[in-house]
Amino acid sequence: MQLKQAWIIAKKEFKAAFKDKIFVVITILFLLLSIMSVYIGGSTKNAELKAYSDIVAYIKSQGSSVFPPKPIIYPLAILQNIINYVSIVGAVLAVFLGFDTFSSEKENGTLRLLLSRPIYRDQLLSGKLLGGTMVIGLLLSVTLVFNTFLFTLVSDIKPEVLEISRLIVFILIAFCYMMSFYIASVFVSIKTKDRSFGFLVMLIAWITISFVIPQLAESQKAFAYALNSTAQSITKLPEDTTISKVIEIFSPAVQFQNIGGDLLQVSANSANISILEIFKIRFSSLVYMLIPGIVMLFGAYKSFLKEEV
Amino acid sequence: MLITKNLTKKYEDFIAVDNLDLHIEEGSIFGFLGHNGAGKTTTISMLTTLILPSTGTATIGGYDIVKENLKVRKLLGYLPESVMLYGELTAYQNLKFFGELSGVENIDMRIDEVLELLQFTKWKNKKINTFSKGMRQRIGIAQSLLHKPKILFLDEPTSGLDPQGTKSMRDLLLMLNKEWGTTIFMNTHLLSEVTKICTHIGIIGRGKLLLSDSIEGVKKMFPGEKSLEEIYFKIEGDDAVEAGLDNSKKRI
Repeated sequence: MQLKQAWIIAKKEFKAAFKDKIFVVITILFLLLSIMSVYIGGSTKNAELKAYSDIVAYIKSQGSSVFPPKPIIYPLAILQNIINYVSIVGAVLAVFLGFDTFSSEKENGTLRLLLSRPIYRDQLLSGKLLGGTMVIGLLLSVTLVFNTFLFTLVSDIKPEVLEISRLIVFILIAFCYMMSFYIASVFVSIKTKDRSFGFLVMLIAWITISFVIPQLAESQKAFAYALNSTAQSITKLPEDTTISKVIEIFSPAVQFQNIGGDLLQVSANSANISILEIFKIRFSSLVYMLIPGIVMLFGAYKSFLKEEV
Repeated sequence: MLITKNLTKKYEDFIAVDNLDLHIEEGSIFGFLGHNGAGKTTTISMLTTLILPSTGTATIGGYDIVKENLKVRKLLGYLPESVMLYGELTAYQNLKFFGELSGVENIDMRIDEVLELLQFTKWKNKKINTFSKGMRQRIGIAQSLLHKPKILFLDEPTSGLDPQGTKSMRDLLLMLNKEWGTTIFMNTHLLSEVTKICTHIGIIGRGKLLLSDSIEGVKKMFPGEKSLEEIYFKIEGDDAVEAGLDNSKKRI
């Protein structure tokens, strides 16, 4: 009975999400951006290959047989822009989905009605979270199918099992990343009665995580470079410093971009290593990315069970 | 049907409900009177298991509101003050959602039955956000009746309604009580409503129960007073004036 009730709530949440016009607009934007990213990535790679073919043809026409090395194409790198779209637009989407989960129910009095029905509070919260999980899951599944199809169409590369596996794992990581934002938004909506205030709090959190912290880490790197170049001990901007790494711990967005970059073969260093190897290397990134969501999840259950309505 | 013993709710140093003792018989219509901030809504919130009492006990239909809250919720129907329901859903969709949550069987048949009883069938497929306040209150009542509750809790059910809506709500409550034998616990500060429909009243002031009896019993207690209104002001008047002064001081 209790599971059935959580399912009833989940179904309602799922349907309600797609009745929200702003959410639908952001969803469409997200899908369009992900499709565009495949198209742009594919076109860039095709142009790169065409330029190489033209050079080879030109060299041949000059009677030479010494050709420059063929550019290495990592197929999934075509999709690399999607990392940024998930990290920024995906996070906004998750915030929109969760920011008024409970605050709107408090505002219109329906939370009191729901809690006067024979349902446990944890089941009500689980139902709400399940509904949001279904929405994010559906969205990313559609993105996966669309992108794989478009990837084949645009790039003329037939993805192999390894590539498809990396893409699926990337989508799963994206799912965890978006769920962190969603759960944080639900937590905030439990703690506040005012949906506008809840949205403002999540907006500040999103800006901090997606822009302020990464920018702070970049500034620190530039500062370290400035100091060292004055002392003439280094000659180029470092990829990271100990302090910038510590700063980035507080940004799940950066951690997601690190893991996503490795999975989608953005860097030649990690393009050919196995998924397991990526997880070994990026274990700490994964932990830093998941911790805020897990803490918020526990916080949400603890707060909601005690909440007086 | 409903018994409370020393039911108390404290918020830090503020006592919202203070040692409340109530005994409400099955089939009665109980009007719970008091000025704003007297503790009516806190009492109803505890009885509908929305908030936990600080001390004391209460049982509904023999079940403890804290230890057996799920069983209690199966027995009760609740209509909060100014409920909006889900505006983007139709009356039918709202009722189906709340009915399924309450485990109502043959839900479609039951919805039709309740809507017919409330003479609301023709608005079944209209969205709630197109309804007037009176219509929303009516559909709010409908959701609280779906699972055939033994006791119905209503928080200021006629608040904000026009005279026609008020009369219509009053007739509905009388009919529910008469036809289905539903016990009704109604928070209100409208004496006219109480005199027209209630069989019993309780008066609360500053969290304390000042009086609780049948309407006849109350009238016998104050033989010199002509109306319930005079009795109410006699019992509660000084307290209400003091509460009013306190509120003014807070505002200043």
